[in-house]
Formats: sequence, structure tokens, C-alpha cells
Amino acid sequence: MACQGLQKGETLESLKRESETLKKKLEEERNKLNDVELHQVAEKVEVLSALSIKTRRVLKGHGNKVLCMDWCKDKRRMVSSSQDGKVIVWDAFTLNKEHGVPLPCTWVLACAYAPLSGLDNKCSVIPLSLDKNENLAAKKKSVAMHTNYVSGCSFTNSDMQLLTSSGDGTCALWDVESGQLLQSFHGHTADVLSLDLAPSETGNTFVSGGCDMKANVWDMRSGQNIQSFESHESDINCVKYYPSGDAFASASDDATCRFYDLRADREVAVYQKDSIIFGASTCDFSLSGRLLFAGYNDYTINVWDVLKGTRATILFGHENRVSRVRVSPDGTALGSASWDSTLRVSWSFSTGSNYIFRFIKLLFWVNSRLVLEFTVAF
Amino acid sequence: MSSKLHPSNNITHARRTVNQLRIEASIERIKVSKASADLMNYCTENARNDPLLTGIPASDNPFKEKKPCTIL
Repeated sequence: MACQGLQKGETLESLKRESETLKKKLEEERNKLNDVELHQVAEKVEVLSALSIKTRRVLKGHGNKVLCMDWCKDKRRMVSSSQDGKVIVWDAFTLNKEHGVPLPCTWVLACAYAPLSGLDNKCSVIPLSLDKNENLAAKKKSVAMHTNYVSGCSFTNSDMQLLTSSGDGTCALWDVESGQLLQSFHGHTADVLSLDLAPSETGNTFVSGGCDMKANVWDMRSGQNIQSFESHESDINCVKYYPSGDAFASASDDATCRFYDLRADREVAVYQKDSIIFGASTCDFSLSGRLLFAGYNDYTINVWDVLKGTRATILFGHENRVSRVRVSPDGTALGSASWDSTLRVSWSFSTGSNYIFRFIKLLFWVNSRLVLEFTVAF
Repeated sequence: MSSKLHPSNNITHARRTVNQLRIEASIERIKVSKASADLMNYCTENARNDPLLTGIPASDNPFKEKKPCTIL
């Protein structure tokens, strides 16, 4: 029985030895090309000027922890899911709630505009319509079925397919219309917590991260695991591609975020500080890739200078763990969701125009007071 | 979906690991200096179009409440 499937001369021991040799070879090959550190090369780049990113809006409405949020492609709407069992679509411009969809599952872990997935092993797609009288929950359609909870989901570029990650240790690609499983991705040895699709220009790959502390890069068509990175010291909660598609970042319970270059096939930066001891649950890049926003379990959002490896600024405000950060599609704003049941939207004013605007405002105020007093006197 | 945990056949698992490592060991890599330079170039080329980096003028802010403007 044990001999079944063995090639000539192969034994379990010889396979294990070959495995060790290959691991060493992989390590050596990677180290040969490690001629310089990213932050050293980045010494040539200008230091970031003081960032004026601040929280400007607080969205209240959920009754419990907000577990996930995402931006709509129209750059104005946001969708969020909460432990209160509801999914809300917000208009970030007016702060109005456009839709509120109650769901049977109370732990909705992920929502993308618009597939939803949760601890009930299913991923549902809910078509959103402008007709407020429509019973949206009734139009819900189950697409993905895993044998354990679904931790993350994403529409592929065509919107006809759905990629999911699961507590069952696998990722899967589904046809949205038929619900059929198109491809499954095996390789993680524990729960997969997050996935991210490569930007469309760079082809059919995606990255996943999980409780086995590994980040894997996959070929969507063949199901093949093409690259694997194992440097985190605890669960990887979130993975996100760099905008060019040549690299990705990860956020982990080990209180660090790390940056991996795919063409150099190695970790090229670690974003950490002695003062940061709580896990990072989420991360996202700004449009140029220079900034990495990461949400932590100590309620803060640290903003990292991706190239230099230093912290650029820190956003306070949430009163509980930050569960999700997402930069809006046009890069103007940062949305964040938290266990404090709120969402926050932050952005940056260019300091020059800020002062000019204030000055003009002051002028008008002074003018209007004078005019008013003049009129009253008469 | 199959379980992630201990496969019943150790040989299959060992061979799968070896095959996987062979694939990973054989991919083409570039030097970190080159990769870093490319990452840096991407950042600098796109920096001026990054609103969170440069900031947006207060009057252009899409999320700003539109206050009525009275001309005196």
C-alpha cells in the first residue's frame, strides 16, 4: 500500500530529502539577488512632506461591529457589512443610506461591490437596484459553497466570475450565473483569510494569505501556486497588490505589514515599530503606491511610507478595532470600518489652498458683518 | 472542497511538495536593486496624481457639503 504511486528508487525519505534540498536552493537563489535593500535605494527619493490626511466624515447607522466595507466604482458609494446582520449602501457625498439589506447570517465577513460572504459557508450576490421598493434580499443568489466559512470574495475583472477564499483552506473560482465551480486552489495548510486580484493589466493572477502565515500567488487559469512567501510570524489577515501589480503587501497578527516584490521573489520591506504591538487586520495602497494604510487592533490606522519603510502619519478616531481600510477608486479618500460600528472617510487638503480658502472666507465674513451692521443702523 | 489537513497518503503529499518546490525554485528572478528602482519609478511617476499624497484643493472636494454662496 505504501508503495503505491512511487517512482523507481523513490521513497518517502528521498522525497523529503529532495524537498529540503529544494527549499535550501530556493533560499540561496533568492539571496543571490538580494544586492540592496529597498529603503537604501529609496534614499534618493524625496522625504514625504507632512501629510494632512484627517478624518472628515463619520458614518453612523450600523448597530454592531462593521466587519467590511468597499467602494463602488462610481467613487461615491460605499457598501458596508456588519455583525448586526445588515448590509448598508452609503452615499459618501450626502452621507445618506441608500439601501439597507438584512441578511440571515449575522457575521457577514466580506462584501465587495456587490458579492457578500460570511460564516454560513456561502457567498451571495445581491443585485442592487435604484428601485427602493424592490425586496433586494429576495433576489439574493447563492454562488459559492465552501465546506467552511467564506472569508473573502472578489468579482473578477469581467464581473462574470467570483473568486472566494475560505476557512476550509482553499480558494475557488465560480461562475456567477450558473454557480458552477470553475477552478479550485489548494496549497494553504490552514484557513485562508484574504485574497486580492492582480490589477487587470498584469494578467490572471491573485494573491492569498492565511493562518498558515503564508502568502501564495496563484495562476487563475491553471490553479497552480506559482510563488509562496513565508516570513510573517502569525496569521496573515489581509493581502493587497501594489498598483503596478509587481508587488503586494500583507497585514498580520504579528503586528507588522510586509512588502513583497514578485519579480525579485522576496520580501523587500517590513513595516513595524516597537510601539506597535497589536495585530494589523487590513491594508491598502494609495493610488501611486507610495503610501500603505493599515488598520490595527489598537484602533489606529498607521500610514507607512512604502519606499522608505517609515511611518508617515497615524490616524486616530476609531473607538475599537479597525476591520477594513479601502482607498476610493479615484484615490481621493480613505474609507475605514471598525468594530465601533462606524465608518470613517478621511482625505487630505493641500495645505496651500487650505490657507487661501480660509483667508477668503474671513474676508467675506468681515465684509458681510460690516454690511449687516450698516443695514441695521439704517 | 477537500480538507486542508493531513492527507491520508503521505507519498502523494511529499511528491506534491517536491513538485511545488521545483516550480518555485525554477522561476526567473531579478535583482532587488532593479525591482526597487522600478517600484520607486512607479511611485514618482504617479505621485502627482495621488490625491491622498498631494491633497485636494478645499474647493474641489467632492465630499464637501455645498454651502450657499452669497455675493455681496
